[in-house]
Amino acid sequence: MSTNTLANMVLGKRTVKQFVMDKAIFLVLLLLVIVIAIINPRILSIRVVRDVLMMSSTKIIMALGMMFVILTGGVDLGGGRLVGMAAVVSASFLQTPDYVRRFYPELGQIPILIPILLAVFVGTLFGMINGMIVAKFKVPAFIATLSSMLIIYGVTSIYFNMAPNNSQPIGGLRADFTYLGSGSIGFMPVIIIFAAVVSVIVWIVLNKTVFGKNVYAVGGNPEAAAVSGINITKTLVGLFGVCGFLISLSGVLEAARTGGATNNYGNGYELDAIASCVVGGVSTTGGVGTVSGVIAGVIIFSFINYGLTFIGINPYWQNIIKGLIIVSAVAFDIRKYVQKK
Amino acid sequence: MRKLSIVLCLALVIAAPVFAQGQAEKGAIEIGSAIYKFDDTFMTGVKNAIVAAAAETEAKVDVVDSMNIQATQNEKVDLFITKGVKAMQINPVDRTAAGVIIDKAKKANIPVVFFNREPLAEDMAKWDKIYYVGARAEESGTMSGQIIADYWKANKATMDKNNDGVLQYVMLKGEPGHQDAELRTEYSIKNLKDNGIKVEKLAEDTGMWDRVKGQEKMAAFIASQGDKIEAVFANNDDMALGAIEALKAAGYFRDGKFMPVVGVDATAPALQALEEGTLLGTVLNDAVNQGRATFMLSYDLARGITPTDASIGYTITDGKYVWVPYQKVTKENYKQFK
Repeated sequence: MSTNTLANMVLGKRTVKQFVMDKAIFLVLLLLVIVIAIINPRILSIRVVRDVLMMSSTKIIMALGMMFVILTGGVDLGGGRLVGMAAVVSASFLQTPDYVRRFYPELGQIPILIPILLAVFVGTLFGMINGMIVAKFKVPAFIATLSSMLIIYGVTSIYFNMAPNNSQPIGGLRADFTYLGSGSIGFMPVIIIFAAVVSVIVWIVLNKTVFGKNVYAVGGNPEAAAVSGINITKTLVGLFGVCGFLISLSGVLEAARTGGATNNYGNGYELDAIASCVVGGVSTTGGVGTVSGVIAGVIIFSFINYGLTFIGINPYWQNIIKGLIIVSAVAFDIRKYVQKK
Repeated sequence: MRKLSIVLCLALVIAAPVFAQGQAEKGAIEIGSAIYKFDDTFMTGVKNAIVAAAAETEAKVDVVDSMNIQATQNEKVDLFITKGVKAMQINPVDRTAAGVIIDKAKKANIPVVFFNREPLAEDMAKWDKIYYVGARAEESGTMSGQIIADYWKANKATMDKNNDGVLQYVMLKGEPGHQDAELRTEYSIKNLKDNGIKVEKLAEDTGMWDRVKGQEKMAAFIASQGDKIEAVFANNDDMALGAIEALKAAGYFRDGKFMPVVGVDATAPALQALEEGTLLGTVLNDAVNQGRATFMLSYDLARGITPTDASIGYTITDGKYVWVPYQKVTKENYKQFK
């Protein structure tokens, strides 16, 4: 084309530019840390890292569930309410025997795994029903999950309002349950271990299994996937089921982490999860997204929340700043895909 | 599939009355009740008290959810008027919007009892069949301030960690702009000052009445302020309990390390925390009596009776207000609220 030096210059420029674009999200995080550290250097401490990771743990599990649905170009609007359902269901069976306002006054000490499995099972079931409706009735995921959001919340509220509880916040949770949320093995909080294990498993499922490849295929181009013999219905039911499973697991852990639950738990979480996925580079048109990107997205989100409180920004301004960071991060990040196309 | 879905829809529509609650039977006195939103713990308590009080009479209360949208509430009010209810109980979404509701009610000659969120005085003066039941929000702030003030006076040596004679505190506020959040915040600190205590605000942020957010904000406060914090104020118990979780994670409530935390509402988990010695105190917002007073007023009005102190069992102030007092709850008296 032209001389060597020119080619080198262009190449050099391009690589720097490309590097900046590929790592845009991480650069945003770095910039945030620097700005906040200038205002209050105490942010540079191990405690902050630990706090932010603990805050992110349940949200990572939820966002990974949400990612499965977004990979097919949909969203799960019922996710937040599912967190509430799982939190209320698991907490209602796991109160200490001497707590005065027990949900089930006559209930004995039952193995901790049973209520957790029950909550997660219900969540998975709701997810699979969503998938069924999307696949069989061709209802857009947006609408199907909008309906399940209402239904799940209604069911949870009826359960929560049952006598003798009558909509009192559920408290007095057993120590072996809250250990899952706030305990630690050595220096490592248990909840972070949970998030790490789930992340690894999700990565394996998405990258090393036929199901995972099918999820990307169905999300990228459903017609092509159908022609190549992928069972679309099975894949959709499966991935919505996984979404329901992960989101309700995060709900159980949220109850364990905070030591309580109400029917209002998780309200609005679905939007945070969607935003985290998008900030983490999951394409809303489907087919594109990585586990590491989602984790980065969630951590950035948690850090924004934490950092703005840390330096004492007025709550009204926090919303404005959050909105601006999300839209600019995504606008910047999305350019790499636009260029590729 | 298409047929199946059509059949399903039809079946659901036909079966809908099965789920209907509070439908009027012949001869029952019907009262319409609109709650600002159903997923508010405290208002659910009020709602349950209204329903329980109604169960003792021949009245039927039709309770609806305004979903935190004033326009929705106005539609529900129109619906009540069309149905011909005998009285209405309205828990306004936006207290300044009560005027419109009063105009509608007056035109249809249906008395209204507002509760929990107080309409403006000029709106209340529009018609003589308008009543209000509620608590004075500033009172809850004053009481939570008093709990901390009492503790400060008794334990100044240990509580004033930096020995500067000034009380350093952090504040977890409810939803910004919410009347209760603003008044509780203002009056709790005002009470400390009235007690002659010097105060310094280290940090303030909104936990949106939410336990999870209370915990996360408190974790950030601890990280940024460290050991400087000497007291934690929360506008409600959920946030106070969240803050306690964050404090536990930072090593408090063990080995003699204590932090005075106060909330408002006296929920069941808060009473448990009082018993465990993590929560210093809370203030009871009396849902049962607010609900009961609201019902008793509207029950009289629905039957065309002018309510009196004797007929409803509560004191009516200025001919239209029933004030249900808050109560201070601490380790000394928590058992009576269980």
